[in-house]
Amino acid sequence: MLLPLLRSSCFPSSSPGGGSGGGSGGGLDAGAGDRPEAQLQRGIRGLSGPLERADRRAGGGGGLGAGSPALSGGQARRRKQPPRPADFKLQVIIIGSRGVGKTSLMERFTDDTFCEACKSTVGVDFKIKTVELRGKKIRLQIWDTAGQERFNSITSAYYRSAKGIILVYDITKKETFDDLPKWMKMIDKYASEDAELLLVGNKLDCETDREITRQQGEKFAQQITGMRFCEASAKDNFNVDEIFLKLVDDILKKMPLDILRNELSNSILSLQPEPEIPPELPPPRPHVRCC
Amino acid sequence: MADSLPTEFDVIIIGTGLPESILAAACSRSGQRVLHLDSRSYYGGNWASFNFSGLLSWLKEYQQKSDVAEESTASWQGLIHETEEAITLRKTDETIQHTEVFCYANQDMDDKIQETDALQKNPSSLTSSTLTKPLDSACLSEETHSYVTSYEMPAKDIPKNDGEISLEVSGVEGTLAEEKYCGDETCRHTVSGGDTDENKPIEEDNTDQLKRKRITYSQIVKESRRFNIDLVSKLLYSQGLLIDLLIKSNVSRYAEFKNVTRILAFREGKVEQVPCSRADVFNSKELTMVEKRILMKFLTFCLDYEQHPDQYQAFMQCSFSEYLKTKKLTPNLQHFVLHSIAMTESSCTTIDGLKATKNFLQCLGRFGNTPFLFPLYGQGEIPQCFCRMCAVFGGIYCLRHKVQCLVVDKESGRCKAIIDHLGQRINAKYFIVEDSYLSEKTCSNIQYKQISRAVLITDQSILKTDSDQQISILIVPPADSGTCAVRVTELCSSTMTCMKDTYLVHLTCSSSKTAREDLESVVKKLFTPYTEAAINEEELTKPRLLWALYFNMRDSSGVSRSSYNGLPSNVYVCSGPDCGLGNEHAVKQAETLFREIFPSEEFCPPPPNPEDIIFDGDDKQPEVSGTNNIIMAKLDSSEGSKNLESPGKHLEN
Repeated sequence: MLLPLLRSSCFPSSSPGGGSGGGSGGGLDAGAGDRPEAQLQRGIRGLSGPLERADRRAGGGGGLGAGSPALSGGQARRRKQPPRPADFKLQVIIIGSRGVGKTSLMERFTDDTFCEACKSTVGVDFKIKTVELRGKKIRLQIWDTAGQERFNSITSAYYRSAKGIILVYDITKKETFDDLPKWMKMIDKYASEDAELLLVGNKLDCETDREITRQQGEKFAQQITGMRFCEASAKDNFNVDEIFLKLVDDILKKMPLDILRNELSNSILSLQPEPEIPPELPPPRPHVRCC
Repeated sequence: MADSLPTEFDVIIIGTGLPESILAAACSRSGQRVLHLDSRSYYGGNWASFNFSGLLSWLKEYQQKSDVAEESTASWQGLIHETEEAITLRKTDETIQHTEVFCYANQDMDDKIQETDALQKNPSSLTSSTLTKPLDSACLSEETHSYVTSYEMPAKDIPKNDGEISLEVSGVEGTLAEEKYCGDETCRHTVSGGDTDENKPIEEDNTDQLKRKRITYSQIVKESRRFNIDLVSKLLYSQGLLIDLLIKSNVSRYAEFKNVTRILAFREGKVEQVPCSRADVFNSKELTMVEKRILMKFLTFCLDYEQHPDQYQAFMQCSFSEYLKTKKLTPNLQHFVLHSIAMTESSCTTIDGLKATKNFLQCLGRFGNTPFLFPLYGQGEIPQCFCRMCAVFGGIYCLRHKVQCLVVDKESGRCKAIIDHLGQRINAKYFIVEDSYLSEKTCSNIQYKQISRAVLITDQSILKTDSDQQISILIVPPADSGTCAVRVTELCSSTMTCMKDTYLVHLTCSSSKTAREDLESVVKKLFTPYTEAAINEEELTKPRLLWALYFNMRDSSGVSRSSYNGLPSNVYVCSGPDCGLGNEHAVKQAETLFREIFPSEEFCPPPPNPEDIIFDGDDKQPEVSGTNNIIMAKLDSSEGSKNLESPGKHLEN
């Protein structure tokens, strides 16, 4: 009966920002133990049922420095300590016209797989890969467009928390390169100003069908301050790791500034952390149209 | 890259507001093939949020009556058969009325922005295109990001306004002498307290120098993308239907939230903080010890009032406010409970008041000190999150896609297809249409209510404290018996809805008259217009109003399905935003519709458990290496993981 009031009494009244990622929200953790979410977790004990789990989730969200977030109390005690959890969580999005190979690049990086036959992205939300760079363990969360680019209907929300944006075109299809300004418009409008940009010309394995030269790609990237460029092939696994690692590296290089600039006095809540394992959906039901 | 739309779906949904989007996610999640359309270029319809330039463009649409003919039947005549008839949909939206814009901030002569009259001393009431710019160029030209130089469209530079604004230009500065102004955001000069050569009224120095940054209109436009201005003003109850749905369905991972930090009340001309949690009550400096005890006792009772019927049985017939008078609460405590905690109308019954109070209290502490959360980047994010969920499960999305009509089979009376603006016929079994798309003919019987809205940009909080990053809600009780209470929500810049050193303030109430008529008196009580640089010392404590927008929005939430004329049995209607504080109506509506259409399906279930996956005609088992993780995922939470099998499994052929 008194619980709600009691809880709030042991609740820190206004927690100073625990380094929640810069302007674009909680996509970045630093010093995870300081996160008010961790405090949230401490303050809420003795709850039962889904509420507890939800709150533990909220507490565990991104607070990876505080131990594996995805386990509830009992399991945490029984399970042996996992390897050093990630220091940071970074959110990266991939955009570009349909069919350029966004999902393929992502899956090559996260799962080292490539599927020629898969033409359309159904069921892929985001994938996670943990990388180590500059002595830090980074949990990279890579978001896919969920097919919404097909009719130019990507939500603005998609761009919000991205620290890194990979803009992909197909070197064998000129129209995907001509679409780039349109994507830049969206980035300008909705993405964080601090997001690192990377332009990728994909399908390098199809050199014979090339329609866009390397110079053209470089030139485009040069017009945009801070945008890197490279060509890659998801199919042949060429340059794929490099792309993502380079991007993460660039983000890390800038990061201390971001943290310093952060003045949030009220913590940003994630109601649920993402799970340990890449979330993926079941194979589409037979009657779901793929393409 | 042109792509053609498939022509067969299970469900077609027209409109991307919150109920439609939840419904889309639910349908897609249960395996239906969903086509989700919106005639606009943005998501959310009347639930959308805009950056500043975007809002001006949105306004322009309603201020300039478009010339598009409402009826042009010829285009689809040839596409329907003899056995069919058509129900046309609207071409233009008419849910927004009485838009009025007031700009009080300095409008420099050097601005690139076309202004009607830069020399205006009085707040300019601008109703036409002067303030507006086409969306695209506004967004590009006013945004000078460090990493964007130019690619295709030439980026217009914002002129750096070095030097002074001559006072005649900038409006009434009164006795203020000079101010140096620098157009660059990084170069800020305080108006108050700093300069010694100003012969102006004494600024208050009791707090740490009242730094009232001089914000100009051009700055606001320049920082346009920092603003995310919601058309709808709501909060999320931490134990409410929407939060629960977000968590249950995993859609919450697409958004982030902040706690609303303060509940405020407006009494006797002053804004005060309402203590509602135990900690607040204990720490309050405003309440006497006796009051604290009484309040705690009352709130504790409210938490499980049903167990103590003797405490309220006798008062079932009277109003909640009457009841409160009998509970030994002092007048200010009664005010707090009635207006800031229960937040009901004065006339509401004792039982409803107790219920509302309990609801509020139960939400305390789940995530923070108040019952409310606010989504980072604004309410407009939420429909988009559900749309993403729908897309992830295969839903197809088309913005900028108008629908001309519904095609109905004469014999069965059921709708078979839509015809879109390209003349394409698209078939489906079920159709969901948001109210604003239905024609006048279809809605001729309906008397719509309205919601009065105001959006304000201000330079200081209505209740200034040490921290300037507060998110607050304030209910102003109705001034007269005929009018409604006004709900005020103040958002700080860390909600990512307004630029630094400003606040975004939303006002809402049920309409009696035009929005300005309904809300202006409250605006005047709380704010002082920027141009009237306060000569009066008292006025200086009030935040300054830089810019204000008023508009009325249609409230289609109370309309029953039978009120619509001639709707086929498989066409369902979603309403636009309601006036309530939470999103309960939208969630309930989506769920009700879903259960009606697909009674045997689960509504937005938690993601599948990895071990329960059965692969149709596929005999491969999940790889062993992935198993441990999968089990962990299962144990961890039923809500957390969508993972079902080893990654990449479905790619193996």
